[in-house]
Amino acid sequence: MFNIELLSCILDIGEQMLVSGAEINRVEDSISRICTAYEAKRVDVFTITSSIVVSLQINSGETLTQTRRIYKYFTNMDKLDRLNSLSRYICAHTPEAAYIKDEMEKIGGRHPYSPLVQYLGYALTAGAFTVFFGGDLSDAAVSAVIGMLLKLTLTFVQRVDKNVVIVNILCSFVVGLLGVLLVRLGIGHSLEKIIIGNVMLLIPGLVLTNSIRDIISEDIIAGLLRLCEAILTALSIAVGFGLVSVFVGGMFK
Amino acid sequence: MIYAQQIITAFLGSLGFSILFNIRGRKIWYAASGGMLSWATYLLGGLWLGSEMTQYFIAAIIVTIYSEICARIEKTPATIFLTATIIPLVPGQALYYTMSYAVNGLLGEFAANASYTVGIAVAIAAGIMAASSLFRILSALRDHFGF
Repeated sequence: MFNIELLSCILDIGEQMLVSGAEINRVEDSISRICTAYEAKRVDVFTITSSIVVSLQINSGETLTQTRRIYKYFTNMDKLDRLNSLSRYICAHTPEAAYIKDEMEKIGGRHPYSPLVQYLGYALTAGAFTVFFGGDLSDAAVSAVIGMLLKLTLTFVQRVDKNVVIVNILCSFVVGLLGVLLVRLGIGHSLEKIIIGNVMLLIPGLVLTNSIRDIISEDIIAGLLRLCEAILTALSIAVGFGLVSVFVGGMFK
Repeated sequence: MIYAQQIITAFLGSLGFSILFNIRGRKIWYAASGGMLSWATYLLGGLWLGSEMTQYFIAAIIVTIYSEICARIEKTPATIFLTATIIPLVPGQALYYTMSYAVNGLLGEFAANASYTVGIAVAIAAGIMAASSLFRILSALRDHFGF
């Protein structure tokens, strides 16, 4: 009953899990559990942050191999939750490939929060972290506004260019410039706090922590890839803010 | 006062990230409260523990236990809560300063900040790993002895 179509469906689940923010461990574990549930004789799964390879032996002695290349991540916990439930269901009931396809479409069709709520999320996060790191309320207000403009920039830039370096340099440049402008107008007080509130939205602190987590749990290649990604992203954010100081001079450290 | 402010904004910050991470329904409140818990534990740890890294380590352990418990209640993977709850601890600020020192060519500050940042990340990651393997052992024991 194992065939190419079914394997493709299983890989879709794994791919979507990885994209939504699952750990490497979980992806490998889910894929091999599902394959074992369909009575594959031997399953080999290899996952790193940018690729999944599955090779399995079925009862007739044939070997099936498929791979997926992952380009873009988009953290989506709701999706991960559904995918996890789906993979549990599959392990328990081993449904037909058509059923899995159907369910995957349903999961893919679920909308994220509306743009308005997302903009508010950016504003809330930026404002909250500005106060968290010691800013006052007017700093928080400025930071929240910049947070929304950051989301706007991000949406626009990502439509044109998906390169991590370019996107981050542009976004942090815009944030820095707006911050300097608003502080000079006298609306915000501490430029540093406003910047750091917005930096929290961009900076890959979580990626850094997760990369160490991967390394500790022996997914060393995946961990190193994530580590490099985190450093690259952080570096481009710093370059973006550095550019602002080139343009506006000594006001920005 | 500053501590109360930080704990409240840790809640709001985690709430904001929960929205960005598309956590749905009542889970979002679990995640945001976890963010508050993580920073409160970190601050509480400061009363007893001498080193900042130990504070991060303990806070990460507590938060992972919290996420695992929430995951059991809601029947969902613990990552869903953990990702947003860990946000106030994550070394975002330190990482940013590290890189801006690198860009500005201040190599002494860069080295000091880089080791500090990696130290925090390692402490948090180790805390998460310790607590989650503890949970794995406990659930294996439960399966084995059936309690």
